[in-house]
Amino acid sequence: MAHITINQYLQQINQAIENHEGSFCAELLSFKHPHVANPRLQSQVAREKCQQILEPPYDEMVAAHLRCTYAVANHDFVEAYKFQTLVVQYPFFRAFQSHKEENWALPVMSAVTLDLRIFANNAEQQLQKKGKGQPGEMLEKAAEQLMSCFRVCASDNRAGIDDSKKWGMMFLSNQLFKIYFKINKLHLCKPLIRAIDSSNLKNEYSPAQKVTYKYYVGRKAMFDSDFKTAEELLSFAFDRCHRSSQKNKRMILIYLLPVKMLLGHMPTHQLLRKYDLIQFADVTKAVSEGNLLLLNEALSKHETFFIRCGIFLILEKLKIITYRNLFKKVYLLLKTHQLPLDAFLVALRMMQVEDVDIDEVQCLLANLIYMGHIKGYISHQHQKLVVSKQNPFPPLSSVS
Amino acid sequence: MSRRRGTRISTQLQNSRAPSGGWRSPRNKKQCQSESKTHKNEVEAEDQGKEIKEMAPRASCQTMCPAQELRNRESQNRLHCFEVVPGTESFRKPKGDPLRAVKEYSRPAAGKDVTKPSCLRPPDVLLKTVCYLIDEIAGSTSLHPWTEVYSFVFDRLRSVKQDMIIQRLSGKDCVAILEPTVRFHIYASYRLCGEPLRIYDPRINDTHLQEYLSWLFDCYKTGSGPYPNQEEFQTLGLLYNLGSSPATQDILELPERLRQTPSLKLALAINRAFLEGNHVHLLRLVQKLDFLQACALHRHLVTCRRHLLLIYCHGYHSRNCRFPLDRLAQLLSLEPSLTAELCQVYGIEVNQHNQVLFSKSAFTEPEQGSLDCKLYHSIVSEKQRGLTVKSIIHGCT
Repeated sequence: MAHITINQYLQQINQAIENHEGSFCAELLSFKHPHVANPRLQSQVAREKCQQILEPPYDEMVAAHLRCTYAVANHDFVEAYKFQTLVVQYPFFRAFQSHKEENWALPVMSAVTLDLRIFANNAEQQLQKKGKGQPGEMLEKAAEQLMSCFRVCASDNRAGIDDSKKWGMMFLSNQLFKIYFKINKLHLCKPLIRAIDSSNLKNEYSPAQKVTYKYYVGRKAMFDSDFKTAEELLSFAFDRCHRSSQKNKRMILIYLLPVKMLLGHMPTHQLLRKYDLIQFADVTKAVSEGNLLLLNEALSKHETFFIRCGIFLILEKLKIITYRNLFKKVYLLLKTHQLPLDAFLVALRMMQVEDVDIDEVQCLLANLIYMGHIKGYISHQHQKLVVSKQNPFPPLSSVS
Repeated sequence: MSRRRGTRISTQLQNSRAPSGGWRSPRNKKQCQSESKTHKNEVEAEDQGKEIKEMAPRASCQTMCPAQELRNRESQNRLHCFEVVPGTESFRKPKGDPLRAVKEYSRPAAGKDVTKPSCLRPPDVLLKTVCYLIDEIAGSTSLHPWTEVYSFVFDRLRSVKQDMIIQRLSGKDCVAILEPTVRFHIYASYRLCGEPLRIYDPRINDTHLQEYLSWLFDCYKTGSGPYPNQEEFQTLGLLYNLGSSPATQDILELPERLRQTPSLKLALAINRAFLEGNHVHLLRLVQKLDFLQACALHRHLVTCRRHLLLIYCHGYHSRNCRFPLDRLAQLLSLEPSLTAELCQVYGIEVNQHNQVLFSKSAFTEPEQGSLDCKLYHSIVSEKQRGLTVKSIIHGCT
């Protein structure tokens, strides 16, 4: 493929188009395929030949694709992105839309949209290095184009299941999720999630696609503080993710762990070691022991890592769980149902919580009572926390 | 072939950062072919190292208001009372004062050419315009009522923003204009709190403020700096958007040296207290804020106080609850009499011995309009002390 002549290449594409060979056609237009390194395809002559051999709009599409290979060969991703846009935006999109009741072009769609996103990413990075360009601008534009393709797929109501373009929806959603997460516009995920949820193909997509989908939707649920849903989705993704994709499994775990910890389930040290996530070890230890001091230290020690992954804020929520565990210890130590507020103050001071006084202790306790982590009430007159004789510290998993 | 330019309002991007170049070519299939050719030419031009800026419209208007607009509005009697020559207000056609007239905001429309150089004000004129608006209008002690002042300044600042977008301004020029604009809107959000909706809508102020903030932060991120006020504005942004995950995440991604500055550390601590539900701690930290910072935070005070009362209703729920009103007043940073009023608004009983009877079942959401935020502003207003509006908006406090 790296030595094929321009004529051979174009004939192959033409054939693939005429015979509706989606996968083969996709390969010939994908940057994962060796043909992109072939210098013979990158000349002006090659582009002119497109018009001779191919029908519109494929002639323009392939010509733009070839210009793109030239740009990539020169490591100019800004150019590459521009030409990939020309591939997707007008010619491919028009062709795709015109395919009534057939979906043979879905693999092509997957290939060109994937390359579009990747080039948008690379182009932005190149621009950033030069200090130009708005962050997220190119990715947003790419997203717009992907969204148009998504709409074509989602609105394909006429074709039968086998010929429906709806099979392309999850792939496109996953691509769009990647962009929206990157540019931090999570609210744009909602319409996609809704569309997929209401589709009858929801559970029929490939396992790989489903894992990716649930990973992103799980992360979105985390962001919306819907931790029970997040746990379900991320657990699914983790369990079904292929054993050999260690990197992906680790990525899922990075988000699954905080959610599980908030629900009271601490990971084993073994698990953390297996996936190289020792950063969580101190956090886990601190939370289960109610050790605020250790928690603060652990969070600040691995701050950069947690912030980069976007879980720093969720881990801070563990502070409330840690207060609860600490206060439970106080209760277990004093073995009474009428606990002097001073005892909690002492506990907090031991954890080197700075300038905390009785007023704040009361506020913290009131908050825990309000959230359902403690069953009882505070008596201001007696300066005591009076807890229920039955299960005053309900298990974390039972509190929403 | 001339390429038509026009603004396209894309719903997807409505909430995005303020566009530094809100110009997209219209989707016209017929033109697409030839467009892709001119697109390629443009691409090649960029290849040769020409900056996009060279294709941006030029601006040559040296006055705050383009002469043509002044003439038009004067003849149509559409001058604002702040723009007329003093003494001519009561004339049938008041005379426009070129030293006081300011270009107004006008909606983009098809066929309207907003890129005429004589109507566009270059960056230095824009900055002078902003200073005029702050010093002579917003900061004036003689112009009343302030709601009128606000409307005028709001609109004229919007027009400044338009000129900035059309010229694709970026970097230091943008920042110099955006910073006082942000301060103005933050101050206004406090000053006009409680005004009737038909005169002042806090949501509109909020929408524009968020756009300005977003754009300003983008400038900081992509520009070469240095930006000596960045600490101040990142702090104001976080306080204004207290508890928001995206806002917090943005701050966390700032370089270490910024995050360790005293005001940002304080803002982060307040934010943390807010997220943890520790409003006692939060209200104590608020004491350390300066006036403008308190203005930024002020709209969250209602939420904080409400949450404190709510969790205390749960936490102290018992038949014998007798919580001292004075103590509660201290925690809420309010006078005891106002504290009692606030309790009443939320359905919480205060007995004749000035004791609060917290109870889970008592807490009710206040009826629409029964909670007047302005009454509880002392925590902010006491910080204003000798400050003038002018100095607040210029940031010389």
